[in-house]
Amino acid sequence: MPAVPNPLDPAHLLLAFLSGGLLTLMVDFNGLVGLHGGVLYSSWVAHGTGTVAAIIFLVALHVLKPSASGTRRPAPLWAYLGGISGAVTVMLTSASVNTALALSGTLALGLAGQVAFSLASDRWGLFGLPRRILRPRNGLAILMIVGGSLLIIFGNG
Amino acid sequence: MVTAISFALAAGILVSLSRQLNGRLALSTSALTASFWNHAVGFAALTLLGLVIGGLWPEGALDAPWYAYFGGTIGVIFVASGSWLVARIGATNTALLVIGGQMVSGVVLDALRGASANTLLTALGVALIIGGMALTSRR
Repeated sequence: MPAVPNPLDPAHLLLAFLSGGLLTLMVDFNGLVGLHGGVLYSSWVAHGTGTVAAIIFLVALHVLKPSASGTRRPAPLWAYLGGISGAVTVMLTSASVNTALALSGTLALGLAGQVAFSLASDRWGLFGLPRRILRPRNGLAILMIVGGSLLIIFGNG
Repeated sequence: MVTAISFALAAGILVSLSRQLNGRLALSTSALTASFWNHAVGFAALTLLGLVIGGLWPEGALDAPWYAYFGGTIGVIFVASGSWLVARIGATNTALLVIGGQMVSGVVLDALRGASANTLLTALGVALIIGGMALTSRR
């Protein structure tokens, strides 16, 4: 795939930032379920209720706006495995939180893993998504957001 | 300790991998369809795991407050949003802005609950995150 040079839409950036707020709520709610039923139960229930919710949303949207079908090329089978990756994440973090790393260390290292893999994904356009060239000021922005996050993580840990 | 560190790092890598895979699926279907498959496949995998090791229906599980059971529904919107964004603003920008939003909203949630925190470090952290976002959005 060719590199994408087009500028970023600030509305997209805002959506990403707001979705981080959804993530906070989700982690909080799932953690509350986990407190009563354990990590496996919490993740299992979240995926089950999520599946039902997704079906309801899809049906509602289809009723509102029927979409044209059969025009796009089909996805490769491996693209359906994002859910496995997400389910394993829950296992790994719940194991890591209970070691000397605790929550702060787990969050900080998870952040590092996310940034490293994302940079590689953009650089090489991994898994069929567009390649992106980062500018020097992107490097500074990464340092600021990661640095700020680490201050919050360890300032509260 | 080495095991714990590699677990925590791998968890981060898998978060980004998952978004990349769902983003690719969204290109061929839709963001919401990708989110559906993410949850359905994850549910199938966790059901299999639970049947093998047990623990799918633990004692006292339903004691959690009712609203906590909306975590999965929130997750559907979150995964759909990430699958849609990753093809538009890239993996790094998506990851960083989601992390920034998670950190800042976490600070707000803690403050609302009156949890004690190191105020100076937290304020500095929030300022750095907002500065980094402003830098990212500059054309």
